[in-house]
Parts: sequence; C-alpha cells; structure tokens
Amino acid sequence: MKNTFRGGVHPKEHKELSRDIPLRWFDPKGDLVYPLSQHIGKPAKAVVKKNDPVLVGQCIAEADGFVSAPICCGCSGKVKAIEKRRIISGALAECIVIENDGQYTPVEGMGVERDLADLTNKEILECVQKAGIVGLGGAGFPTHVKLSPKNPDAIKYVIANGAECEPYLTCNDQLMREFADDIVAGLELILRLFPNAEGVIGIEQNKPEAIAAMQKACAGKARVRVLPLQTKYPQGGEHNLIKVIAGADYPVAKLPADMGCIVDNVGTIYAIWRAVRFNEPLFSHCFTLTGDAVKNPGNYIIRDGTSLAEVIEASGGLKDGVTLKKALAGGPMMGFAISDLSAPAQKTTNGLTLLSEDGAEIALLKQTACLRCGRCTTVCPTGLLPELMAAAAQKGDYERYEKTLYGLECVACGSCSYICPAKRPLTETFKAVKAEIMARKRAAQAGGGK
Amino acid sequence: MNTALNLSSGPHVRDRWTTRFIMHVVVLTLLPAAAVGVYVYGLKALWIILASVITAVGTEFFFDKLTGRPDTWMDGSAMVTGLMLALTLSADTPLYVPVIGSIFAILVVKCAFGGLGKNFVNPALAARCFLLISFPSTMTMYSVDAVSSATPVAELSAGNVVNITKMFLGSAGGVIGSSIIALLIGGMILWALDIIHGQICFSVLAGFVVFLGLFGGKGFDPYFLLAHLCGGGVILGAFFMATDYVTSPVSRLGQTVYGVMIGVIGAMFRVFGTAADSFSYSIIIANLFVPLIDTYIVSKPYAFRKKAIAIQNGEEKKPLLQRIPKPVIALTVIALVAGLALSGAYSVTKDTIEEQRLAANKAAYQAVVPDANSFEALDEQVSALGGEVYGSGFGRVYINEAVRGTDAGGNLAGYAISVTSNEGYDGTITLYVGVSADGTVNSISFTELHETPGKGMICGEPAFKDQFSGAKVSSFTLNSGSGDAKIDGVTGATVTSRAVVNAVNAALDFYQNSLKGGA
Repeated sequence: MKNTFRGGVHPKEHKELSRDIPLRWFDPKGDLVYPLSQHIGKPAKAVVKKNDPVLVGQCIAEADGFVSAPICCGCSGKVKAIEKRRIISGALAECIVIENDGQYTPVEGMGVERDLADLTNKEILECVQKAGIVGLGGAGFPTHVKLSPKNPDAIKYVIANGAECEPYLTCNDQLMREFADDIVAGLELILRLFPNAEGVIGIEQNKPEAIAAMQKACAGKARVRVLPLQTKYPQGGEHNLIKVIAGADYPVAKLPADMGCIVDNVGTIYAIWRAVRFNEPLFSHCFTLTGDAVKNPGNYIIRDGTSLAEVIEASGGLKDGVTLKKALAGGPMMGFAISDLSAPAQKTTNGLTLLSEDGAEIALLKQTACLRCGRCTTVCPTGLLPELMAAAAQKGDYERYEKTLYGLECVACGSCSYICPAKRPLTETFKAVKAEIMARKRAAQAGGGK
Repeated sequence: MNTALNLSSGPHVRDRWTTRFIMHVVVLTLLPAAAVGVYVYGLKALWIILASVITAVGTEFFFDKLTGRPDTWMDGSAMVTGLMLALTLSADTPLYVPVIGSIFAILVVKCAFGGLGKNFVNPALAARCFLLISFPSTMTMYSVDAVSSATPVAELSAGNVVNITKMFLGSAGGVIGSSIIALLIGGMILWALDIIHGQICFSVLAGFVVFLGLFGGKGFDPYFLLAHLCGGGVILGAFFMATDYVTSPVSRLGQTVYGVMIGVIGAMFRVFGTAADSFSYSIIIANLFVPLIDTYIVSKPYAFRKKAIAIQNGEEKKPLLQRIPKPVIALTVIALVAGLALSGAYSVTKDTIEEQRLAANKAAYQAVVPDANSFEALDEQVSALGGEVYGSGFGRVYINEAVRGTDAGGNLAGYAISVTSNEGYDGTITLYVGVSADGTVNSISFTELHETPGKGMICGEPAFKDQFSGAKVSSFTLNSGSGDAKIDGVTGATVTSRAVVNAVNAALDFYQNSLKGGA
C-alpha cells in the first residue's frame, strides 16, 4: 500500500532550514495582543477591563456560545487596552492588549497534576473547552465541538495529524520528537471518548526521527499506532488523511465524524494533554520561524499574542543584504501573506516564512494562455477538473461551475496553481468564485426570507 | 523593517515547469525521429524540417508583432507544430509545400482562432490535410533510395508483403518521421514524464487494434496488426498528435473515449476506405468532438463517484459490471453493433455484389472472350493466391480476377483474366487477357493505362496489343524469340512494354497452373 491519496504535488520542502533545531520557549518582552476572534465561530467576549491585573493562564475572554472558544493569557501584567489593532489577516480587529511585566506569574492551580482515573468524558470535554483549545493545524475550529459528535460510538479512527506536508514548517516534527509520550498520552485520552476507535498517528516519511519517536511512544499500547505516509502535498489535508486511513472520499458538506473519523493536529493533541493533565490552558503553541530571508531559522514554543516582529528580531533578524519580499503566516502553499509584521501571533499561527522571492509575483509576470495540459487535473486531490472550472469561471457560468463541475468542493490546497506551467492563478480564482457563489446564496436566502 | 511586502492569495510558490519547457521537451522527443529521417532520406529531409520549423516560428513572430499580441512565438509551440508537420511529409516534397503548410497551420488554424490553447484542431494535422487537398500529387510522392515506391501502408492495403523490420527502423519509405523505434522512444519519454496522457495514446492503439482485429478480415494476426500499427503514422499520431493538449479532452474518461474514437475511425478508414492518411483524418475528426466531450463527459470529484458514495453509506462493494461507467458500456456496445452491422451487411450482400460485378463487367469479358455469353467467377482460384505478388519473374504483378465463359450451348468458351502490374512507367497498368478453350490468346484489353503520351500509351494501340492475339504459346518474350512468342516493343517505351508482356505472361501462367483442366 502506498499510504497516500490520488494527485498531489511535490513542492521543494526547504525543511532542512530548521528541521533539526529543537523547540525553544520564546518569552516576549513587549505587549501581548489577543484578537477576540482567533477561531471559527463566534468571537470570544472579553471578561477583563482596562488596568485589570492578569496572570499566566488566566481567562481574559470567554466563549460566546457552544461554537466559540475562550482566550487565556500567556503572561502576567495588566490590561493596557481593549481596542482595534491590525492583525495578521490585515484587518483591524478588536483585541485585548496586555502589558507584559516579564514575570510570567502563573494563575493559581495551573500546572497542578490532575488524577485522570476518575475523570468522566464530560469533564474531559469541559477541560478542553475551558482551555480554549482550537484546531492548531490552521483552521482553528473549537476542539471541544469536534470531540462531541452525535454518536461517539460510531467513531472508528481518531487521527493524529503529524503529516506536516506544508513546505518549510518543521515545528510539528520537533514537537513529535520531543513530546512523543505526551502526544500519545493525549491521543489515548481522546480515545476514552470514543470506545470503538483506534488512534492512528499519520506522519510523512520525510520525518524519520519523529516516526521513530512516536513508534517508541506507541510501543505496547493496544489502541494507537503510527502510520508513515508518503511525502506529498497536501497529505495533511483532512480529506486526504481520511482517504488514506479510512479509505473514504467524502464531500465538503460532510464532516470527518460522518465518516467515522476525528482528525486533530498533533499540536492540538499535545495542548489537550497539557490542559487535562496539568490544568494548563492553551496560551502557547509550537511555531517555526523560517525562510531564505531569515538569518537564524528555528523552532519555538511561542505565546499567543507575541508580536511576530519581536520573534524575528530576537532570533537575529533578517539575513544581511536580503530584501524581504513576502512574509507568510504558515508555509508557502496554504499560508497567507502578511502586510504588517508587528501583528500578533494567533493560536493558529504555526509558522512564519520570510521569503526573498515571491513565487506568486513571478507567476503573475510569466502568466501565459492555458494550453489545457491537464496537469491541474492530475494533481487535484479532490478529483476536480480545474481547467474546466477556470473556463466556466471566466465565462461567469457559475451554474456549470457549481452543478456540473462541483467547483465548491475545492479545498483551496493550491496544488493546481502550483503545478500550472502557464502560471495561471487557478486556486486564487476558485477561492474568489466560491466566495462569490456563497455571497449570492446568502443574498438569495435573505431575499427569500422577507 | 521592510513595510512594502507583497500580498497575494496562496499558493506562494510555483513549480519550475513552464509551457515553454514542456514544448521544448516535446521538440527534443521528436528529434530522434527527425534524425532517422535525415539519415534515411538525406539532407533534403533536413531542409524540409528546417523550412517548416522556421516558417512556423517566423509566422507566429510576425503575427505577434503585427497584431501587438504578447510574444508567444518563442514559447516553443510553433516549433512543435512546424516539426510535426515536417515529419508527416515525404522527403521528396518541394520546399514550398512545408512553407505553405506551416503558414496555414500557424496563421489560419492557430492564430486566427486566438493562439495557443484556442485552436480547435491540431494545427500540424490540419495543415497536412490542407496540403493533401492542395497538392494531391506532390503530397503522395514517396521514394526509397531515389526509387519511386508506394508507402508500406499502400502496399499493405493492396495486400502485399511489407517489411516490418524496415518500418520499425524507418527505412521502409513513407514520410520523414516514419521510424517507429525513434517515435516510440520519444513517446515513451513523454509518457514517463507525464507530459502526455497514457489514457489517450493507449486507447488510440487499443481501439485501432481491436477494430482491425475484428473487422480487418485477417483476425488478430500479429503480423497483420503489427504491420498496420507500424505504418501510416499510427504511432506518430497516437503519441504526438492525438495527445496534443489543446485539442484533446480534459477528463480521463473523455480522453479514453476520444482515444478509442481516433483508433476506431482510423481503422475504419483502413478497412473500408483508402488506407492513405487515415490517421490524419481520424484525429482531425476526433478533435472536432472535443468540445462536445468536454461538455458532457465530465468526471465527478472522487467523493461523488459511486464507489465513494457506497463507502459513505456503508454499503458493500458492487459487482464489477455495475462499477463500469455506463458510457463505457454504451460506447462498447455501439462500436460492436456498428462493426457487426457493417460486416453483416457485407456478407449478406456479397453474392448480390458478385452478380452485379459479373453483369457490369460482362462487356469487358466479352471483349476478350467473344464467343461466350455467360460468365462465372473463379474467385476460389484467385483468392488462393492470397493477394500477393504473382509468381516470380513477372515483377510486381497481381491477379485481380478470373472468370470462365461459356457459350449458348454451355460449352467452355474461354477465360478472362484481369491482371495488374505495378511496374508501369507511371503507375499501375491493368488489363484483361482472354484465353480461348484451347489455350490460344484471344486478345488483351486495357482497363488502366496512364503512361507517357506518344510513348507508353502506344502500347494501348492495336499495332502493339494485337501482337498477342491468336498466339498459342506458354509465354511471350520482348524483342527476342521467334514466331508468335516474339513481341516487338514500342520504341522509347521499354518499361511499359516489358510491364505489359510480363503481365500477360503472368495471366498465361495462372491459366496454365490454376485454370486449365480444372474448373
């Protein structure tokens, strides 16, 4: 068995920049900034006021509803302001600004080991919810929601996503090497919620040390195993992992749980373990600083809210004589471009890639006519026909785009744009068309409701 | 810190392959075939290739400049078109032919429709078809070692033996790019690099072989199928022309349907039509169906295919038959029914066709067997020859048909034998030889003679052809021998005279060995 999905691409990995550098805690000196919306769902509600003193691990904003997540502070100090700040998406958003006293005094009870034996499933979920844990792979979906499917008995696989298929990023690799036992313990904890499930840790084969470490941690444990996966982007996509492990293809309208799967990033599972076992809420996560423009690439555990500029500066700054062209939150395939490096890291910011060359810009300059070569069709992991979708989009034939070509199934992995020899902005087009179609649908619904 | 950062939607990296790179790889994979062409046919092949490529690229250059369009002339696609066109031409083609062809391909077929990616048929093939119509005689002039010859496919369709080894190497005659081994090497490289889609080229070959096997009249005879596969641009078409990105469908199923279509249409032309250029036309025809295929044969994403839905619903796997997509079953059934209908119609009407043939040719038979008033076909003896060159020492001569004539009283009146020689000075000569019941040659009459006026054509005049009448000999000799056996050749038309004498001798030989006494 090849342990992979159909399609996919092999972008240059560049993981060698940071792959063997151990994780280091990064303690910022400056203010920490917490946007109230760092997850999918309703933004959190601030529970502190200006000038309130705060401690590490203290909840500063609470969840507003079930599909929402609280925010916990990562430093001690006081609330400097609650105001609009520029965040990594480029937008101005409501943020809690904490003046950092540099003491990192923890809140009472944090770090106290909890006896897991008597813990009920409900208590585990409560713990996860209170800790503000969201999907750290990038989507930021509140984890307690994911762990509460309609029928927990129907879950056959709990998948720990350690694929880390995104080029450049290496922090999950390091996390698995250094905290293998904690991740496996976290996975076993989740398995308590799903009596019929097996725990599978999927790791791409380009991380042999992580595979070895995790295999060692799994040794002798009945319900968990490591599955080495072929190194291919986007192997870490939820659909692709489920394809490999459960053998099922499913449409975007369905959830992994509908296919009997729960997929969590290894970082998320580690956070669950810290929260449940050590009563430590989510205020930090692993993070890779990398790219050809940065002098000292490395892997860190950073506190949410840390200014990205501060991390860069503390690491030694940019390479001399290199012009920074593009800064990416995440890697170059799924990451998004940042305009202002003083923006704070969010829960889901698992990397910062600083590049002196912008592939998207070069593509724009080199763009030629589509020659219908079909390379996009070959690499599409969803089985779509990107060249026909692009043609339909160009004609404005959204009917064909959606109904005949299933264009809304696109997961925007970027493989088609990456591979296109004519350098056409396919993924970009599909994201825009999807947004347009969804907007029209909402407008139609609103109109129909009147 | 730098504040002027680029912003864009992901992905932010790109593969290194460009359109230009792919086109240049295609050119490189065509070079072995071109090199063999130059080796076999000499420098004249090189001039044709250069003329074609330079004109193609130059035409696009001027079009870009004149219309102010973005420079597309150096993207390599014009080079591919020019090279492909050259490879489909005979090395004896005058240089103005590839020049005109390349201009047509680039200007009319490609640029006029919007340039790369917009043309609806393969430019090189469209140009080839355009040239075939414009210069029918020059385009079908082939030679090997400076000796005019028929292409292997023409020989094949005439039922002759062809040398597959020579075809494989590329020295059997035909177009410049006819070296199967060189083309296969190039095609396999393209396939291995994922530049061409395997489902297209292999479905072309499969469709072709299956159709020929079923309806070609020789079953799945490996020699017959291999000879057909190696000739007439099947390999060039399957690997380099049918796989042209712009004019092939997008979905895998669509590509398979398109490939089978090319193979089957190409084979149909071979079996039921003229063999020449069957593949050029079949690919062009299939090109025209591509928009239709792309509109209606659209594959669903993996999650919406039957098998995936079954797994989503927790169902058991379906038996094989239900998993084959319906269009595939439908197309297979249609192809089979059409083929069976054609061959069925042929066998049902065969006897009628035969009677009509006898009636239609009665006048021709009577011209050489005047005493007979009814004729019966002797197809059994003729087909026993297997359609191959008759005997030895007669040159490339074929016995076409033989009939036995009887008089009003039912007595044997004589035989009429139709014989064709490929050794005329300017093509084929076909004639009837009438032999009376006792073996005397009654007369000969030409049904096909296009020799040089004033020279070879004189063979058709009584002064020459009446020399055969009334002779009772076992064979004739040209300008030698004595008595009735001696035929005086036409001055200045030795080739034609010899071809006629040999043809008549072949007919007499056939009469003596296969007809006399029997039937």
